[in-house]
Amino acid sequence: MKWKTLRDFFWNRVYELAMEDRNIVAVIADMGAPALDSFRVNLPSQYIDVGIAEQNAISLSAGLSLGDKKPFVYAIAPFITLRCFEQIRVDLAAMDLPVTIVGVGAGMSYDDSGPTHHCVEDITVLSPLPNFYIHNISDPVMARAFADISVKFPHPNYVRLDRKVLPKIYPEDFSFDDGLSLLKEGNDCVIVATGNMVHRALEVSQILEARGISCGVIDVYEFPVNARLLLEFIAPVERVFTLEEHSLRGGLGSVVGEVMLDGAVSKPLYRMGIDTKKGFCYRYGGRNYLQKCLGLDPLTIAEKITTAFTGS
Amino acid sequence: MFHSFDEALLRRLEEKAKEIRLTVLDMCSQAGTGHVTSSFSCVEILVTLFYGGILKFDPTNPGWEDRDRFILSKGQASAILYPILADLGYFPKERLKRFCREDGSFGVHLQHDVPGAEITSGSLGHGLGIASGIALAGKMDRKLFMVFTLLGDGECYEGSVWEAAMFAAHNRLNNLVAIIDRNSLCVTNFTENMLELEPLDEKWRSFGWNVRTVNGHSFPQLLEALGDVRCRYSSRPTVIIARTVKGKGVSFMENVPLWHGAAPGGEEARKAREELMRSKTETK
Repeated sequence: MKWKTLRDFFWNRVYELAMEDRNIVAVIADMGAPALDSFRVNLPSQYIDVGIAEQNAISLSAGLSLGDKKPFVYAIAPFITLRCFEQIRVDLAAMDLPVTIVGVGAGMSYDDSGPTHHCVEDITVLSPLPNFYIHNISDPVMARAFADISVKFPHPNYVRLDRKVLPKIYPEDFSFDDGLSLLKEGNDCVIVATGNMVHRALEVSQILEARGISCGVIDVYEFPVNARLLLEFIAPVERVFTLEEHSLRGGLGSVVGEVMLDGAVSKPLYRMGIDTKKGFCYRYGGRNYLQKCLGLDPLTIAEKITTAFTGS
Repeated sequence: MFHSFDEALLRRLEEKAKEIRLTVLDMCSQAGTGHVTSSFSCVEILVTLFYGGILKFDPTNPGWEDRDRFILSKGQASAILYPILADLGYFPKERLKRFCREDGSFGVHLQHDVPGAEITSGSLGHGLGIASGIALAGKMDRKLFMVFTLLGDGECYEGSVWEAAMFAAHNRLNNLVAIIDRNSLCVTNFTENMLELEPLDEKWRSFGWNVRTVNGHSFPQLLEALGDVRCRYSSRPTVIIARTVKGKGVSFMENVPLWHGAAPGGEEARKAREELMRSKTETK
């Protein structure tokens, strides 16, 4: 069996839904997927090629939405968010139009493609937009669920997909209403993670258990973050760690810090992610190697957390 | 060869243009802000669309699904669209007096939640793409409405305009009409001094559009250019390059870059008002 990526779980479901709802349209900026081949062949009037033109892809989708269509606009993640940020801001967020942006290539997904294709600033850039929601997908069940959720979502919505195959975490009937979930309880600390790093957090928590540190894991899959629930989940533990394959400036760690500050929660917070002081990542050799360079490999993370407890 | 139009209609349009210019002037002068000159260059264009029998609309039902859409891409000209919408009954004229005021509900750039406004705009290069999306949605649903969008000529420097132009032509959006307010001025300089836009008609033609060039202050020419667009004689979208004068109607504001985004006050406002009262729109 060929492993399916998050993209396939998401688009396969969008295609199923589009078969039943002719208002669902795919706006494609020169990107492929097996489900999109089916779209093109079986639902040609619902498949719109815009060429390599992300700005127009967003403005066009705003117009389609004003014409009562449900657009899913799709391209490589950094291009469909950063290149056309102003179209997202004015045409989607300011008018609060229910358009779904689908970006594939979260974080260092396009590992060896270099910094043009790395997508590590988009959460920082898009988070301040009123009316705008980011859904950072961490597993296949969530990918499929957010196809259904996006069709009915009343606001602009960015579905952020990793390019690689990610294993299943959630049961099939899981409800993704809360924006974050406590995947594993821990008594000493918790890792708040997002996207592909949720899997890394689960892996690290096992290493820590063996070292006698009880570590919980929270998956944040929606921005703005559900602050009330996050504060509830981090309340019992002594230390909070955040983990993301994204810039530390304005990413998940910053958001969690804001939530704690606003909630008057005073406890140690350690942020792990991509340090901009290291510059753009002109390293090659696969994602595992890049993560090692960035300090996001399991052992480095486990060491950082262990050191926080032992102080050495 | 221009068609002859009902003289009474032309007189009504001229009177309306004068009335709208005065309203724009008063509204912006009282507020001390607003894009007067950018609005004055497109008065005849908007008056033709809204009062010349071109657009289908219903002020009592702004969301009427079969209405024609007017997408003001050069959102700084909201100062002319708002008075027209108020005049047509989309909202009470009293609201114009609160333009850019603390107790008001709209400002210098276009806001989508004003009845009849359709979109938020102000940053340039967005309207043609949005209009293309609405036009495409209309085609998908076999609707007969038309989509009109007004762009500034300086706006055509934005690359996104050409992304949308390519898309609209490829997708045969013959229910889409773009009008370019070719007043030849940006904020600081004339377009041809800054970065040549000409030959603008050839650029659009090469992108697959029907191109018409008219005097944008002439009602007969505008009525002629816009009168048959609903017939869809061609599969191509249509662009009308309307040659205009920025600040049209007030001699000391015409073609003066520094008047961009400014509103006359005091003595200047009085002089502008006097000139507008005396003015007569070109009808050739």
